[in-house]
Amino acid sequence: MVKVGEGNSRAATFQPHLGRLSPIEIYHARLGRLGKAWQRDLSSLSSGWEVLLGITGRDFTLIAASKAAMRGATILKASDDKTRQLNKHTLMAFMGEAGDTVQFAEYIQANAQLYSMRNETDLSPSALAHFVRGELASSLRSRKPYNVNLLLGGVDPITHKPSLYWLDYLATLAPLPYAAHGYAQYYCLSILDKHHHPDISLGQGIKLLTLCIDELKRRLPVDFKGMVVKAVTKDGIVDIEFDDDKVVKSA
Amino acid sequence: MDTLVARYSRPAYHENEAFSEEERQGLVDSVPSLSLKFAMPPVAHPSAWLRAATDDRSNPSCPIKIAHGTTTLAFRFQGGIIVATDSRATAGNWIASQTVKKVIEINSDLLGTMAGGAADCQYWLAWLGMQCRLHELRHKRRISVAAASKILANLVYQYKGMGLSMGTMCAGVTKEEGPALYYIDSDGTRLAGNLFCVGSGQTFAYGVLDAEYRYDLSVEEALELGSRSILAATHRDAYSGGFINLYHVKESGWEKHGFSDTNPIFWKTKLEKGEFSNVTSDLSERV
Amino acid sequence: MVGKDCVAIACDLRLGLQALTVSNNFPKIFQYGDNVFLGLTGLATDLSTVSDLFRYKVNMYRLREERNIAPKTFANLVSSSLYEKRFGPYFVSPVVAGLDPKTSKPFICGFDSIGCIDFAADFIVSGTATDQLYGMCESLWEPNLAPEDLFETISQALMSAVDRDALSGWGAHVYIIEKDKVTKRLLKGRQD
Repeated sequence: MVKVGEGNSRAATFQPHLGRLSPIEIYHARLGRLGKAWQRDLSSLSSGWEVLLGITGRDFTLIAASKAAMRGATILKASDDKTRQLNKHTLMAFMGEAGDTVQFAEYIQANAQLYSMRNETDLSPSALAHFVRGELASSLRSRKPYNVNLLLGGVDPITHKPSLYWLDYLATLAPLPYAAHGYAQYYCLSILDKHHHPDISLGQGIKLLTLCIDELKRRLPVDFKGMVVKAVTKDGIVDIEFDDDKVVKSA
Repeated sequence: MDTLVARYSRPAYHENEAFSEEERQGLVDSVPSLSLKFAMPPVAHPSAWLRAATDDRSNPSCPIKIAHGTTTLAFRFQGGIIVATDSRATAGNWIASQTVKKVIEINSDLLGTMAGGAADCQYWLAWLGMQCRLHELRHKRRISVAAASKILANLVYQYKGMGLSMGTMCAGVTKEEGPALYYIDSDGTRLAGNLFCVGSGQTFAYGVLDAEYRYDLSVEEALELGSRSILAATHRDAYSGGFINLYHVKESGWEKHGFSDTNPIFWKTKLEKGEFSNVTSDLSERV
Repeated sequence: MVGKDCVAIACDLRLGLQALTVSNNFPKIFQYGDNVFLGLTGLATDLSTVSDLFRYKVNMYRLREERNIAPKTFANLVSSSLYEKRFGPYFVSPVVAGLDPKTSKPFICGFDSIGCIDFAADFIVSGTATDQLYGMCESLWEPNLAPEDLFETISQALMSAVDRDALSGWGAHVYIIEKDKVTKRLLKGRQD
């Protein structure tokens, strides 16, 4: 038996005898066949143009999600909220295949709320992240997997430590100081690498977010209709007013 | 004359940079017919055959792996043009080299950058250098960057669909044009602009560069920004890395500003400026 | 990697999505008891699933048997657990390293994704930099290395291998396992 699916990061080779094409294979096949070798192309993925961003700071976690709900070449709604509150201190943002996203998010939300009611205590962001991972992981090897990418931001109700979890549809879980999904990753992570510090204030966090959104407005070929921005703090989740009408000039 | 007309019977580009009649003539004269220069494989569809044998994205076990994966950038500013690149060559996941020179010195005034097929870029930019020299000898003056870039664009367009893979930038400063920067790729695209990043790490470089780019950057600021943008890309893009190759192009010609290892620069940037807070440098640290 | 009365196990820290580096702090070595270690490479989601699964199984073993699991027993547990998924495998290639609790003899082995055990007396490698690691280990490893020498050898082998692989690196963790001491070190590798 030859080893398959080796790799320190992601397996790139898969055995054909799995019976049907798994989402993993479809994803890799799509990435593989499109574009020139020195350019990447995720544009055929339905979720390719959605934006999710998350930034942690001294005492908060910021979550931002694009407002456009896209189906094919149409923007169905320009004020979509791609986030769900799981409990007082945890917020989840989601993107991916139409239908799967909201169904999965609300399933998680319902279970998180059920736990809070039954136990009169909230699950911590870390516990929730691992619960979500478990659900996604079992879905991945089911007949109909959820195709959802997530960011889970929270502030620990006891230690007040902010945290951010990056989850993709393969149920890969990574705790990170800042994270993004979709094309936004390719533009924003380098900006955040340069400008992020763990002890920034909420004001500085929003400035940093603006820096990222400006770059996306400048370089992404599709209008994502601005961002829904929310901050998780020890006192709960607050909506942040965000200027979507700012015009960004290209260099 | 008929042969000339025949050669130019494709719809011409309508761009607003003006070539003198003399230059136009020069472009035509200097580009020899190239169709018989290269040996072709003895198969029915050479380009399809080549693609099947070399495209390691759609077929990871293809027999020939062409070196690619790159970050290159160039931008215009008040003091000239900054050109910066990484230095990694990969064949699949194998790092074939960490010391590739991706800035090609076409002549003492013009620089070209290399992304895509390393051999394609090296060969055709060297060839471009030859054409530029011939132009100088014929017309007793330096070729404009616009003309030089168009020679290359026309050349790669002749080979369109045959598997050339290159994304390159031509940078030079001339008295007539000032700092001039062109992007040329193997599709035949040729664009003049202020700022370009090319390669698998382009988006990461754009992120850092766009955030702080201004035309009135000082020379030191511009050099630092160029080098920092490449560093950002080498960190996030697996196929970029190695050394930062930095150039400053002025009217008097280009000036080299080092070929420096990213490793010490990275740790200096992290530990002194507190950037890259996602990287652990201590076992007790937890995200 | 095996030394004299000691073993070493090391991993890089990258988590990536194709060319994109998502995290630089994604350890791939998991500890099960005093001196049993599991290294996992492959699909990131399966690393988490498999490591959690073995944490559960090893905890259950400890409760039932009222003793820690031995590396050899653990290796057989890994093997049979992976083969349970023969027709829909986890995309991982595990490595087990440890010291026998009774004899303190070094034990290492590797597996393919469906549980075939590969016992070795010298070293086991796995992951995207496998070819490079084989080259480095074949040339650097020698029998009966003392703990400090073993640390040096495994570190040099890993760092050099990873520096020739585009998909791994970004720092490393190294564990040196001795009879009653485990030393964990962070290697600050190239970040490109």
